[in-house]
Amino acid sequence: MTTPNAVYWDPYRPEFWANPHPVFQRLRHEAPLYRNEEYDFYALSRFSDVERGLTDKESLSSSRGDILEYIKADLPKTPGLFIWEDPPDHTAHRGVLSKVFTPRRMNELEGKIRAYCARCLDPLVGAGGFDFVKDLGAEMPMRVIGMLLGIPEEDQVAIREMVDASLRTEAGKPLQASQARNSGVEFAEYIDWRAKNPSTDLMTDLLQVEFKDPTGTQRKLTREEILVFVNLLAGAGNETTTRLIGWTGKVLADHPEQRAEIAQNPALIPNAIEELLRFEPPGPSVARYVAKDFEIHGQTVPAGSAMLLLVAAANRDESRYPDGDRFDIHRKGPPHITFGRGIHACLGAALARIEGRVALDEVLKRFPTWSVDIDNAKIGSTSTVRGWETLPVFTGNGSRSSVRREAAPTATQESAATQPASATGSWELTLSTPAGPQVMTAHIVMNGESFSGTMSSAELTAQEITGKVSGKTLSWTLPLTKPMPIKLAFEASVTGDTISGEVKFGMFGKGPLTGKRI
Amino acid sequence: MPKVTYIESNGDEHVLNIEPGLSVMEGAINNNVRGVIAECRGACSCATCHVYVDPEWVSRTGEKSDTEASMLECVCDPQPNSRLGCQIKLTEQLDGLVVRMPEKQV
Repeated sequence: MTTPNAVYWDPYRPEFWANPHPVFQRLRHEAPLYRNEEYDFYALSRFSDVERGLTDKESLSSSRGDILEYIKADLPKTPGLFIWEDPPDHTAHRGVLSKVFTPRRMNELEGKIRAYCARCLDPLVGAGGFDFVKDLGAEMPMRVIGMLLGIPEEDQVAIREMVDASLRTEAGKPLQASQARNSGVEFAEYIDWRAKNPSTDLMTDLLQVEFKDPTGTQRKLTREEILVFVNLLAGAGNETTTRLIGWTGKVLADHPEQRAEIAQNPALIPNAIEELLRFEPPGPSVARYVAKDFEIHGQTVPAGSAMLLLVAAANRDESRYPDGDRFDIHRKGPPHITFGRGIHACLGAALARIEGRVALDEVLKRFPTWSVDIDNAKIGSTSTVRGWETLPVFTGNGSRSSVRREAAPTATQESAATQPASATGSWELTLSTPAGPQVMTAHIVMNGESFSGTMSSAELTAQEITGKVSGKTLSWTLPLTKPMPIKLAFEASVTGDTISGEVKFGMFGKGPLTGKRI
Repeated sequence: MPKVTYIESNGDEHVLNIEPGLSVMEGAINNNVRGVIAECRGACSCATCHVYVDPEWVSRTGEKSDTEASMLECVCDPQPNSRLGCQIKLTEQLDGLVVRMPEKQV
């Protein structure tokens, strides 16, 4: 039955991506159980209904996925991908990670997270502007989850791009089932390398942990299960938090008085992040497979249907959040439902909160105000996350002519320097060695076609180095006696304040080298 | 009906009558007591319903399971009288229970 003014919504239309909240309000009032015939799904939008939907795991199953298109495609199952499992499989697999992403352990990462934020933001001070997503949101969460997993830094960008591509929908179109890539094959070489070179990261833990599998057998994870876990964590740890940081930039620019309050009083940050999460949740909806007939609002949703739980709509429900469409960092009401509820509640919630808080704190320390370059901002369309793909802002502490940026360079891209960058200076180098990443310090003094200097590390007292310059490339060697007599051979080039290249470990192969000016 | 006093970290007190059979966590969440997040809503997996049980009541709230003890290591600032609110079921014997919320759950 369609009346002329009946409310319509689907997840694919670009106009709904920009601002879905007016239509969400209509759904809550006019169609609390919404039926979309064209894409064949039902949707719930009121808070109590979404909460009920998330906690009724018998009726609303996760076993066919939590993405609408995948539920309808009925793809083959991926064992170990617990986000798409019901108990007991879910319980056994998620249980492996239950003590990893906890409040206490994630709080311990605060120092490292600040360091990553500083790396992203320090080069931008005085530049007149930056991009909340390309310069910070897309970088810092990737570095953190990559660090936790033990993925070498230079490979983290490629992985993030692979995951982003797998979740991106074209505006107006559903996700293609062929985009489903959950077997984690791209991580296979890291798993195998890490198995031979154990370290103190999560990937090593996953290789060594024993758990009770769904059949009750005590065993280690299979290689396939580890690949699935790593893929899930790398995917979940990147995009969602990136969106949170993008929304932080947009919403606070839209509410400058509240932004100023936070800048004056950083104790307001935790509540501000909770309100940002409520106001624009990075994951605006999740889907479930209706396993049993589900009665709600006097109707029966038949088994076999796909149900969308509209978290972003629930978060604005006026019956729970008075004046819910108003952003208010001083809101004292009940918590949001952004991280879900029940057994599938977001495993990474503590990490997301810490990253969001630290990112906001570090931005405000350097840029207490900014305004959005809205003509060049772009909101993203993916099947699971909603938010800014690029959010350039003007920070006003640079010349006006330097402010306009079409596509803000990322921290890892080479920027067009007006002068050749000099290698003279002090550098913190990270070598990807067969035994894991090693940090060394180098002091370099350029002298035309050659250079001299020293290198040292925690284990190595300063040793003199000399080398040659050819074009942009510096090359030099460093003989070591510990852990064994071996000559390291370096080749690297400098761009601005970053240095990158390759280091050979005698006959033990080679690995990438990255570094920054200190 | 057991009466439970929830004390927020800023000192605000909520004295509530909670249905027997509900957990300390549910009593807090159902009554909008601030200081408890409880995202997993009782699955003993998120470590965000952490409460400090008043010393007078600690021995009367029952034994912790291994899972709860394990998750209590993961809360911010665990103390000897720490419990997960979702694991304490309210009964008439707990009438008068006093719990304090930590400064932060995460």
